[in-house]
Amino acid sequence: MIDAIPDKISRKFKEKDQFDLNRNSQYYLLPFRFHRLTDEKEIIVNEVGDYLILSNGTFESIVKRKLDKEKDKDLYGDLIANFFISEELIPPLIDVLATRYRTKKLFLNYFTGLHIFVISLRCEHTCHYCQVSRVTQNRDLYDMSLSNIDKGIDIMFKSPNPHVTMEFQGGEALLAFDHIKYAVEKAEQIAIEIGKGLTKVICTNLALINEEILEYCKEHDILISTSLDGPKYVHDKNRNKPNASSYELAIKGIELSRKLLGHDRVSALMTTTKLSLDYPTEIVEEYFNLGFQGIFLRNISPYGFALRTDTSKYETEKFLAFYKKALDRILEYNFSGYHFTEDLAKIFLTKILTPFNVGFVDLQSPAGLINGVIVFNYDGGVYATDESRMLAEQKDYTFKLGTLNDDYNDLFFGRKAQEIAQLWANEALTGCSECAFQQYCGADPVHNHATQGDMYGYRPNSDFCQKNMEIIRYLIELMESDSRIKRIFESWAKTATH
Amino acid sequence: MQFQNEIKSNEVIVFADASLYSKDSIFKCLYWYGDKFHTNVSFADSGTYRVSLKPISTNQLSNLELELLLQKLERDLIDFNLRDIVTKETQNVRDLLIAKAFSNGEFDEMPPGNVSDPVGFNVNKVAND
Repeated sequence: MIDAIPDKISRKFKEKDQFDLNRNSQYYLLPFRFHRLTDEKEIIVNEVGDYLILSNGTFESIVKRKLDKEKDKDLYGDLIANFFISEELIPPLIDVLATRYRTKKLFLNYFTGLHIFVISLRCEHTCHYCQVSRVTQNRDLYDMSLSNIDKGIDIMFKSPNPHVTMEFQGGEALLAFDHIKYAVEKAEQIAIEIGKGLTKVICTNLALINEEILEYCKEHDILISTSLDGPKYVHDKNRNKPNASSYELAIKGIELSRKLLGHDRVSALMTTTKLSLDYPTEIVEEYFNLGFQGIFLRNISPYGFALRTDTSKYETEKFLAFYKKALDRILEYNFSGYHFTEDLAKIFLTKILTPFNVGFVDLQSPAGLINGVIVFNYDGGVYATDESRMLAEQKDYTFKLGTLNDDYNDLFFGRKAQEIAQLWANEALTGCSECAFQQYCGADPVHNHATQGDMYGYRPNSDFCQKNMEIIRYLIELMESDSRIKRIFESWAKTATH
Repeated sequence: MQFQNEIKSNEVIVFADASLYSKDSIFKCLYWYGDKFHTNVSFADSGTYRVSLKPISTNQLSNLELELLLQKLERDLIDFNLRDIVTKETQNVRDLLIAKAFSNGEFDEMPPGNVSDPVGFNVNKVAND
């Protein structure tokens, strides 16, 4: 039962002027960042990723206190409501803003979740862009030993994260399926004993998949992640398998896996190569026709070939043209009523349109390496990311944190981790610190090192910066130019946060 | 002394009044030109910065491109100066915000004012029920 307060007889809201306690139009700036979108439009983004699109010159008016509370009533109200300005030195609702900031950094709460076990370096494919795999029968040299698996599992369960993911990669992981079985059964037992959640994933090209393996995956609730670069004429050229069509094996494998495990237990990832750049719509259509709910348009990996800045920047321009064409096709499907997403856009849109964030290794700050992911290599080396171990195959051990024989604290909080931590937050990087898209982007010391020779990186000719800036700008431009696209993007962001 | 922005011998030269432009904003602005230009900052006199850009040898520009570059540099200097004003003015509130965000509640305060409800319910009683 709710009692009314006796001396309140009126149920009306107070008069409007009761709510405006600051009549003199004096305001203070709150932290926010600015970027020119076009000659007519500019964008300001606050500390928690809320943005306003303004006409050219507005940013200057705000900073120089030229806004008039009465004449610019709507803008003034928007700036107050969205924490760009405040009428008090410390905004009365700063705790709300702090809670929102904390929500944006929620991915830091649990520390490392993804543990990649490079179970074997052996592979039966000879893909031209792969820097790591070996075509060999030598199991002793290139498979992860059982003792190293034990040590990896031990370290994995020391993570404070209440739910860990164990991902088996290669080479071709299924060449060492007996070791996967050993690892899965051991990890499952410990997870039950200590009460931690455990997700298991096998990354495979599916060439070796069969009913027996899939029955095991079903029994142990293992997800399948595969590679599909597009139609047969793209996939088979990218991923060479001697005396066989990699594409046909992958398609057959996807169908069989879906049949035995369920449609949503199989995901596919593509790698964009130089060849792929000519087939943006065909690649999207391939994914759509195979019944996937979306596609992740991943750019060309710099590890191996496009190492020099000029070359990689040139490639980035081509990738951006490819990306935009592919996104056009994806939007066409959405206009026709299909929910079909592009996953890179989905990551950005979640950051732009929702109070939440996405824990994605190179699009978060602090970066996801060590914080979110760790790699246990087949030979017992422990690396900060998957790309780090690829660098190691080129004799570059910059991101080797140690070995599986080392202590947990030495690996995750040791000298090397501390060295990387100096520059894993874009808030503290030159060029990023005042960038309007800082909250939507991230830091990637491994990429900086691989492409520019040092972990700090140099933004003016960074392909990472060029790519992310342009994609974010393009997504905002699309939303501003067409309300249908905005609604589609909002639906993508919604599904990402559920 | 009045200085005039100009293009001279393939070099773009802009002058910035030191009482209006911060040193930080000038360097932050020039950072973005470093991959294609030789950049230089010096004093034209005690109260004026002389900022110059000269294309590196692989980056040959036409007269029209140099004109556009001059315009872009002038505009960027203003933009970076404005950004610098926001950064410096909001430094303390940003530190407070992040400290609060990562705290365990030790910096939380009750919102100012009395809690009441215009439609007449006893808010405190409802909250305690």
